[in-house]
Amino acid sequence: MAIAKVPGVRIAGIASAVPATRVPVTAAAEIFGADIIQKISQNTGIEYRHLTSPGLCTSDLCFVAAKRLLEELRWEPASVEALIFVTQTPDFPHIPATSCTLQMRLGLSRSCAAFDVTLGCSGHVYGLWLAMSLISGSGLSRVLVLAGDVASVLSSPSDRAVSLLFGDAGSATAVEKDVTASPCVFSMGTDGSGWKNLIIPSGMQYARYPRDATTCIRRQAEDNNQRSAEDLFMDGAEVFAFTIREVPPLVNQVLNAAGWKLEEVDDFVFHQANKFMLTHLAKTMKVPLNKVPLSLKEYGNTSSASIPLTITTQLREEISSQSLRLLLVGFGVGYSWGACAVHCGPLVAPPVILVDKSEAWRC
Amino acid sequence: MNEQEFIANMEELLETDPGSISLATQLDSLEQWDSLAFVSFLAMADSKYGVRVTPTDLRQCKSITDLMKLVEKR
Repeated sequence: MAIAKVPGVRIAGIASAVPATRVPVTAAAEIFGADIIQKISQNTGIEYRHLTSPGLCTSDLCFVAAKRLLEELRWEPASVEALIFVTQTPDFPHIPATSCTLQMRLGLSRSCAAFDVTLGCSGHVYGLWLAMSLISGSGLSRVLVLAGDVASVLSSPSDRAVSLLFGDAGSATAVEKDVTASPCVFSMGTDGSGWKNLIIPSGMQYARYPRDATTCIRRQAEDNNQRSAEDLFMDGAEVFAFTIREVPPLVNQVLNAAGWKLEEVDDFVFHQANKFMLTHLAKTMKVPLNKVPLSLKEYGNTSSASIPLTITTQLREEISSQSLRLLLVGFGVGYSWGACAVHCGPLVAPPVILVDKSEAWRC
Repeated sequence: MNEQEFIANMEELLETDPGSISLATQLDSLEQWDSLAFVSFLAMADSKYGVRVTPTDLRQCKSITDLMKLVEKR
């Protein structure tokens, strides 16, 4: 695994935003029946999700979060030197990069670097690592990491493995130079052999499985779920097996590199995969459950936004007033994973923002 | 391997009445052996038996005996 120690950088603030539309999982009772929904909900820990509607994009959620964060931090937009947009659900299918449009919308300087990173569950940790490295290694002072997804739209409504799992959210994390900050320690890894187990196989003409007239047709799959080649597929058992194989050693490795003991960590902020998985991880790693904040009940699995959303919804009061030792752990689609041991706070953390469709970009 | 303990663990996992399954029980006769139970078994093998079962191996299993053999492997 790649280990990195990044000195002289701190997280100055975190904000998150979700669509205003809040939907209980029981709304799908007509499709699956109330009993199945209750069983799934008990397993995943998900009771509600905030769902987008056509025209409200990931970038809109991130934009609202970033704008509020810049205001509360009193950062001049022109002082942001790089913008990293982490998503698997960009505004445009091919070009341009959504980060470029966000530079314009946020009124950032024309000398601001901007680029997209296409990662999901591990994406926020990767974005943070890039931002901190740009400051520590390249001499920048201020970088914004905007991470989010509208993953709810990717799955077939009648695929019970995924259709009640994903919620939509965007986030903004402000990172800045601070020579007094303790080093942040990162550990990253990849196992591309899992590429098939969390995938949207088709949907574009030029891609690996080219789109044709049949790729959008939903059929009964081997697992008895209805989905097309353009819908999200997840092999839950394979993803679970991957997680319990990789995450405990990842956590140990980053703790060792940081010189922290497990019990010195204030909170373990995991990617919010599902409650069953996180409870199992905590149990096997002997992490007390009260140190594993969860945002699943209200927001579901929010892909690349899940770590910042969990911090701003579950740890907001503490982290606004004091410094916490956090372990951020992202893992999933790819397979890709990353963990970060960071002294975080006190920082600016506004309450989660509800975004109405009328706030979508009018381009 | 304590067979009775394994069966009790399986009954707990499947939320069935005590005494309702035996080593000979076929998995496809159990309504409760669904995708959630499948993942729960991976979790139980890890936490109770310290064995990392692969989904590929688990898919081969036909009976409760087969499941027990998987966690006996090590």
